[in-house]
Amino acid sequence: MKKRIINFLLMMIFIIIVGGWIYTSVRDEFLKQSRAAQRRTVETVAAGYPSGDDEIGEWLKRLAEDANDYRVALVPEIPMPGEKLEVPPRGDAELSKLTEDSASDPEFSKGFDNAAYEEIYRSAKTWTVGTQEEQALFFAPAVDLRTHDIEGALVFSFSTEGEQGFMRMMNTLFAAAFILFAVVIWQMMLSRDPIVGFALAGLFLMTITFVAYPLFEALRLSFMENGKFSLAVWRTILNSEGYMSALWGSLKLGCWTATFSTLVGFLFAFVVSRTNAPCKKLISTMGVLPVISPPFSLTLSIILLFGNNGLITRWLRVIGLDFSIYGLPGLVIVQTMGMFPIAFLTLGGVLQAIDSTYEEASLNLSAGRFKTFSSITLPLAVPGLLSAWLLVFTTSLADFANPLLLAGDLKVLSLESYIEVTGMNRLGHGAALSILLLLPTLTAFLAQRFWVAKRSYVTVTGKPSGRITELTTPTVRRILTGIIFVIVFFLIMLYGTIFAGCFVKNWGIDYTFSLENITEAITRSRDALFDTVTLAAIATPIAGIIAMIAALLIVRRKFHGKKLLEMLLMTPFALPGTLLGISYILAFNHAPIILVGTAAIIVINYVIRELPVGIEGGIASLRQIDPSIEEAATDLGADQAMVFRSIVLPLVRPAFLSSLSYTFVRSMTAVSAVIFLISARWYHITVLIYNFSENLRFGLASVLSTVLIIIVFGAFGIMRLIVRENSNLMKNVT
Amino acid sequence: MASSKSKSVTFDNIVKIFRDPQSGQDVTAVGGVSFTIEPGELVTLLGPSGCGKSTILRMLSGFEQPTSGRILIGDNDVTQTPPNKRDTAMVFQSYGLFPHMNVAENVAYGLKLRKMPANEIAEKVQRFLEMVGLGQMGKRPPSRLSGGQQQRVALARSLIVEPSVLLLDEPLSNLDALLREQMRVEIRRLQKSLGITAMYVTHDRVEAMSLSDRIIVMKLGNIIQIGTPSDIYRDPVDTFVAGFVGKVAFFPCEVKSIDSGCHVEVKGQGFTAPRWSDKLKAGDKALVMARPESLSIGEAGAGVEDGVVTANIYLGNSVETWVHTDLGNVLVQIDNPDVKKIWDEGSTVSLSFDPALTKVLVDDLEKA
Ligand SMILES: Nc1ncnc2c1ncn2[C@@H]1O[C@H](COP(=O)(O)OP(=O)(O)OP(=O)(O)O)[C@@H](O)[C@H]1O
Ligand SMILES: [Mg+2]
Repeated sequence: MKKRIINFLLMMIFIIIVGGWIYTSVRDEFLKQSRAAQRRTVETVAAGYPSGDDEIGEWLKRLAEDANDYRVALVPEIPMPGEKLEVPPRGDAELSKLTEDSASDPEFSKGFDNAAYEEIYRSAKTWTVGTQEEQALFFAPAVDLRTHDIEGALVFSFSTEGEQGFMRMMNTLFAAAFILFAVVIWQMMLSRDPIVGFALAGLFLMTITFVAYPLFEALRLSFMENGKFSLAVWRTILNSEGYMSALWGSLKLGCWTATFSTLVGFLFAFVVSRTNAPCKKLISTMGVLPVISPPFSLTLSIILLFGNNGLITRWLRVIGLDFSIYGLPGLVIVQTMGMFPIAFLTLGGVLQAIDSTYEEASLNLSAGRFKTFSSITLPLAVPGLLSAWLLVFTTSLADFANPLLLAGDLKVLSLESYIEVTGMNRLGHGAALSILLLLPTLTAFLAQRFWVAKRSYVTVTGKPSGRITELTTPTVRRILTGIIFVIVFFLIMLYGTIFAGCFVKNWGIDYTFSLENITEAITRSRDALFDTVTLAAIATPIAGIIAMIAALLIVRRKFHGKKLLEMLLMTPFALPGTLLGISYILAFNHAPIILVGTAAIIVINYVIRELPVGIEGGIASLRQIDPSIEEAATDLGADQAMVFRSIVLPLVRPAFLSSLSYTFVRSMTAVSAVIFLISARWYHITVLIYNFSENLRFGLASVLSTVLIIIVFGAFGIMRLIVRENSNLMKNVT
Repeated sequence: MASSKSKSVTFDNIVKIFRDPQSGQDVTAVGGVSFTIEPGELVTLLGPSGCGKSTILRMLSGFEQPTSGRILIGDNDVTQTPPNKRDTAMVFQSYGLFPHMNVAENVAYGLKLRKMPANEIAEKVQRFLEMVGLGQMGKRPPSRLSGGQQQRVALARSLIVEPSVLLLDEPLSNLDALLREQMRVEIRRLQKSLGITAMYVTHDRVEAMSLSDRIIVMKLGNIIQIGTPSDIYRDPVDTFVAGFVGKVAFFPCEVKSIDSGCHVEVKGQGFTAPRWSDKLKAGDKALVMARPESLSIGEAGAGVEDGVVTANIYLGNSVETWVHTDLGNVLVQIDNPDVKKIWDEGSTVSLSFDPALTKVLVDDLEKA
């Protein structure tokens, strides 16, 4: 009990320190600005000090009559420190009286002294002027315009009501937050698990700071203009033809890509799970490979082949065919090649789960093969098809890298928001556009999650029998396999092109063999490559550990706000990277948290973005583990940290490892969010690839893409090896 | 033989209310329970499913926090102590063996946490493995052990840390009947030889009877009776306990008077029972409780209740005869069947009981 109270006090002290720091930095920022504004006013007014007695009288009268938020009094002769005034002050009567009464006060002496040196001074304390309490006093020199002599001092009084109102609001907010924290933490501490309490507090703090707060900032900024609430940004966007055509472009691209990807994915899944086609292993491998290929790589090779100077373009030109790959059709092809694996994986799972006894039954009832397919297999797969379509749709909408190189005249939202932010420096517009992009993305995501995914569980029944019912006639099978091999060949050709691109002097112009590109690329990218690997390597273990801790808490603990925490943790999964990137630069370029330009912002971004997948994996594997295993460890005397280290982590090792490799690979190949967050100090290799491609240095881009491909495949390969070593263990656990 | 380390356990008016997270409704799992377990004693919690047995055990081990009341181990109030700081060791129904460690590592886990030197750990682990008959199996992963062997590993893992209290939550329910009997004897032997205080949860009455120093019978979160197995069997406090711990027949009667015995009348015949419920007074309608071995079968009309024999089950040293009467199906146990008459199925007979073995209980049976 005593220890728990000490823990609580330590936590409170920590919160007081952090809270105090945030509090003071916000307050100081505000005070600095409001005082700077007052100082500027004083400066301007004092600069207008006229010469000549009459003019001064006029001037003072005018200032008094104008509805200003300050009052002025003139001390015609600056007294010696500590002395009384010889000539009474002029101007505002009450302020004059105060000045006369307190002229010998040290504060006034200081003010006069500063004025004598042509400095503006703000009194360190507040004063009562007439009936008005708490007035801030400024002292400024009264300088004769012609002679430039300091004639006297001007005393200004400002009301501090605005400041005080702001402080009251801050105090209330911070007190409320503090009490809330104290209550929550007290409760958590008293739940007899301080470690769990700390972990929960940490997770809440993390998600609120790095998920909720940036999103809120992005939303807030899209409703601001010149520091005030305004609908102007949204009005511009919704009325602008350009922006609306970008929305339309995104949707069009998403629909085409999703449709083609679902078709191709279904074809692959069907041939693998329902026919006796040859080379199924190769088909399966090629059906998932593109999902881990780094950004720009497929686009790059498409440009190398079909771009304006492309290898194949040339031949086609010779036979009189002229076309441009830049734009919608090119993008649909590239995205389909990159995203059909999502559909393949989804549909492969669905088709395997549909028991082929249904089909056998149908065949036994002497329905034809096509009839069986159209009346049994297809209807059962409909929820899966929808699911796949929606998933690809979401991915296509959020895609940023491919349009960046290949969009041509086509406008898409992810690209527009990037241009707004980096090209036009209109952060508000960028934020609004990426929020606009979130709407269809989120709709599709939620539809997939809560509607389609639920329904597909209902329809898929029975145990997978592992047997294959041949559903195709040999001719049909040959045609389907033929189409698949064309696609597989195309993919291999794309990868081959990148590889070839490394060794060609100047693609499109001079195809002689050369190693120059390789040496140049390596020297020019050394720093960026180092940065990229370092940042990914830092983020990987952090994300992995946090994911497992979060999964453990979610699966095994009861606590208030669990649903909220889950939602906050999972949200980044549904967010387009551009939105996350933009909201990070919006939120973390000002007090209280300034991170823009640091490595931390990139690492945090990686962690937050890749957590959801790790958590899902952790949850799935923990659900399979008997809770009494952990309880047994606790019972034998292990505290929560020990249980986590010695029991949970080894048991969820496969999930943990795949979360690690996933985070590493995704961080190595990040582009949509990270492109906003890089700085001169911390660069990312994908951005370098983009820069090289933009400058038509395709050789360099090819080399870097190849390097990335090798790293990514290497990481997955290593992970596979380790997990296979552990397959015995996995069998025991599940 | 209570070892010096074994401690008593006291529950002082413990209440546990769960809040159902979905409906937000409160479920009273344990409603104000008090009892004491003496050092070195093995006490069994017996009761139907959902009566709060596991909850009591989990509160004692610290996995659940009582809503109110105090729990003491020895003289220490442990109500607020987290499970890893309590000197209890639990044997789980599903064993909870660590699948990523071999048998010896499993058993050593608690000792490693206590920072015991490695050579001492190895020696002690071997000793305990031999004690549970698994001396050769230290290197095996738990998944390659039979159910009974896994159970022994779990037991050794709990015992090796020499806890003040050993907790067992239906440890044998995953085993087959023969193994169960064998393990029951084993557990009792180990518990006695180590002199460890133990609390055992089961809903198998035979297990409870054969294992326990005392039994706590529970129903709907409350204790109905605490007593030795024979108390519970011969002298149950009500018809629920009587029925839960063994086969029983109830004969409606009227209490005539109570002095040193309870004088009752069943179907006009007078009997005197040596035990009766305190709440009874003269003139009450009550029930005479009779166990199968106190019943006997005679010619129709001779006893207190007539019926028809529906089945005879030959068990070697006894025969169980089922008789269908207006009171329901009654089981009669006939010992030494070779020298006694066994009535044919279908014959009409009458039942009578030995009053010296009966108890008179308040009639709280639900009338159909
Ligand atoms: N974590 C919980 N949340 C809500 N209700 C619970 C929880 N644990 C137990 N209960 C409820 O408390 C009551 C007692 O449960 P308990 O597990 O102690 O029963 P039991 O006697 O061990 O039953 P069994 O013999 O089936 O194991 C039950 O009604 C159960 O539904
Ligand atoms: Mg139970």
